[in-house]
Amino acid sequence: MKLFWPLQKSFNEALDDLQKTPTNRPFDKHIIPFTQALSKRFVHMRQQPEIVALGYWLRKANIKQMQEEFERQHGDSFVRARGTVFHIAPSNVDTIFVYSWMLSLLAGNRNILRISSKEQNGLNVLLQVILEEFVKPEFESIARQTLICTYGHEEQATEQISAVCHTRVIWGGDATVEAIRRIPLAPLANELAFPDRFSLATLNSDVVASLEDGELAALVERFYNDVFWFDQMACSSPRLVIWTGKQQTEAKAHFWSALDKVIKSKQYELFAATQVLKYTTALQLAVEEQVSHISSDIYYSRVQFEHIEPNVREVHCGGGLFYEYDVENLMDASSIICDKDQTLAYFGIEKQELQAFIEAVSSRGLDRIVPIGQALDFDGAWDGQSFLTSFTRKVVMR
Amino acid sequence: MTVPYHLAQAEKEQLLLEKLNELTAWHKMNCEPYRRMLEKSKLQISANHIEEIPYLPVQLFKLMDLKSVPQEEIVKVLTSSGTTGQQVSKIYLDKETSIVQTKTLVEVMKPILGGKRLPMIILDTKSVLKDRKSFSARGAGILGFSNFGRKHFYALNDDMTLDVEGLQTYLKEYEGQRILLFGFTFMIWQYIYKKIRDKDIALHFANSVLIHGGGWKKLKDEAVDARTFNRLLQEQLGIQEVHNYYGMVEQVGSIFVECSEGYLHAPSYADVIIRDTITFKPVAVGEQGLIQVVSELPKSYPGHSLLTEDLGTVHGIDDCPCGWKGKYFSVAGRIPKAELRGCSDTFQGGGQG
Repeated sequence: MKLFWPLQKSFNEALDDLQKTPTNRPFDKHIIPFTQALSKRFVHMRQQPEIVALGYWLRKANIKQMQEEFERQHGDSFVRARGTVFHIAPSNVDTIFVYSWMLSLLAGNRNILRISSKEQNGLNVLLQVILEEFVKPEFESIARQTLICTYGHEEQATEQISAVCHTRVIWGGDATVEAIRRIPLAPLANELAFPDRFSLATLNSDVVASLEDGELAALVERFYNDVFWFDQMACSSPRLVIWTGKQQTEAKAHFWSALDKVIKSKQYELFAATQVLKYTTALQLAVEEQVSHISSDIYYSRVQFEHIEPNVREVHCGGGLFYEYDVENLMDASSIICDKDQTLAYFGIEKQELQAFIEAVSSRGLDRIVPIGQALDFDGAWDGQSFLTSFTRKVVMR
Repeated sequence: MTVPYHLAQAEKEQLLLEKLNELTAWHKMNCEPYRRMLEKSKLQISANHIEEIPYLPVQLFKLMDLKSVPQEEIVKVLTSSGTTGQQVSKIYLDKETSIVQTKTLVEVMKPILGGKRLPMIILDTKSVLKDRKSFSARGAGILGFSNFGRKHFYALNDDMTLDVEGLQTYLKEYEGQRILLFGFTFMIWQYIYKKIRDKDIALHFANSVLIHGGGWKKLKDEAVDARTFNRLLQEQLGIQEVHNYYGMVEQVGSIFVECSEGYLHAPSYADVIIRDTITFKPVAVGEQGLIQVVSELPKSYPGHSLLTEDLGTVHGIDDCPCGWKGKYFSVAGRIPKAELRGCSDTFQGGGQG
């Protein structure tokens, strides 16, 4: 067990003390300066665009907007923080879990964060910033409502925290969710779990084929961000591209060669192991009946499907591997959507068509439909769940 | 001229190309998954140059069963030595491929070991050979190399302890004769060398020749390279002649042995091509890259041209000071694991949440 925060306390002591601190009102005014302080620091970390994006999300205007929305929703009803929220972070600390933590903080909760034990040596840059802010006197009360630790799988801390928390948030994929769910949770607590997901993009080939060079460049730039910020390993990064319309051949030729240029210009770093893995996966898929052809380029590999079974989602290796599927109308693809599918990033497709499409999907699939370029954007609801709702409780008073 | 290291590269490639093209066509006809891979990726079936022969990544044999003969003709299944939890490769051999494998191994080793069977100490335990139908890489290696020796003696007991007394008796009996020692690099280091060193056991393997392989991965953590390994073995055990070899279970026939100059050589029926780690384009002599191995032996499964995950460098062609012809090269180890980002803790195996 290693405690990053609070300093100079044992875990049991820290846990006891944390439980004694009061919760805050949602969007309490002394929380906003803290999120603002973080925002200011994050927007300057230009080396990591996803942290800059988090910084923008945390800026005052955006938080105010969230607050107004929250207050409008709840009107005169009485909403309180749940209490202690236990966040289990994924092993490669990713910004997404920081969003849910910040929302829990804004909801007024005390927060316990379990960071992956892999992070023990090189503490994540995000946490580093947060810890530096914690020692400032003006943020003392927020710091007292927070516990940040790491420990191995063998330790009992998960049981201990699960028994006293009021909400448990599990990030980290199917295996983690399954393992943590075996550990009893306090009877009154609720749980948010974020298992493995798969994401898609859909592009209208007729529109793509007619784009001017500049427009196409802007489109692939946005697509690049969706895919490569997290090496195509984020749950919402597109892996399957559905091409609608009638000019698939031209649109694809256009699109992929433009993407090639963008990846090159970004000096995206390639690794030998990823290259071998992409090539291996493409060949493995070639054996499948549902695949009609594959191609392996330096920056990406493409696998063309004739129909798509749910199983191919499991073999996807990330790092620039694209499944492609052609339909004339988006509606024709509604049957391939399965429970695991999370985000559909679209381009050149009308809202009405998208709405009809979502309604036609009979599986649990698709929680987000966003324009290409916003696949990674966070907006308070994830995997169909609203954080602020889950992190608060409504007190009925008549 | 030293057979099978006698062919100059140009001549060798000509001969190999023809046989490899035949194999590509054979596997395409007899292995349905292989046919689909070639056709769906529009890979060239008939190559004009050895570098154009289609190659499969070695990892594929961990993901699927690939064979080009009916199941009933399979006489042996080789498996790679994965650590627990890892998937292992399965390599299917029929009688023909199995026989040529044994035969070529003899030819590869003959220039080093001569034609006569030597008294042989296997630096491993006999228990790795228990299952005769399914062999691990270690078992297959031992069985293959056993043909070079007689009076086989296993230096390790089943519990991996050293049979000191047995060894002393054996060495005394064959004193003055050339003895063949065979084992896996890491096993030799861990269970033979270290034991003898730590317990200060008096054993002298003078006038013996050691053949070892299996890779340096585990020894890297202990910062032991080939040079150090040879020196320490000579100092502690008195072994005069040490030859490392490079090979993999996934490609029968590709045994590359160290010459007297310490370089690995390709025999006439196999070869290496070094490729850029990112673009997979062949690189120039002297440049490091991914090792592709080709061999004219694999007929029962489509493994005649494989892209490995090992890094290596070809140091020259036809001009090794040892006198052997063809390419001579060295292996630098495995490519580092992919460290992709993302929100999940389980990497290979699907979507992340």
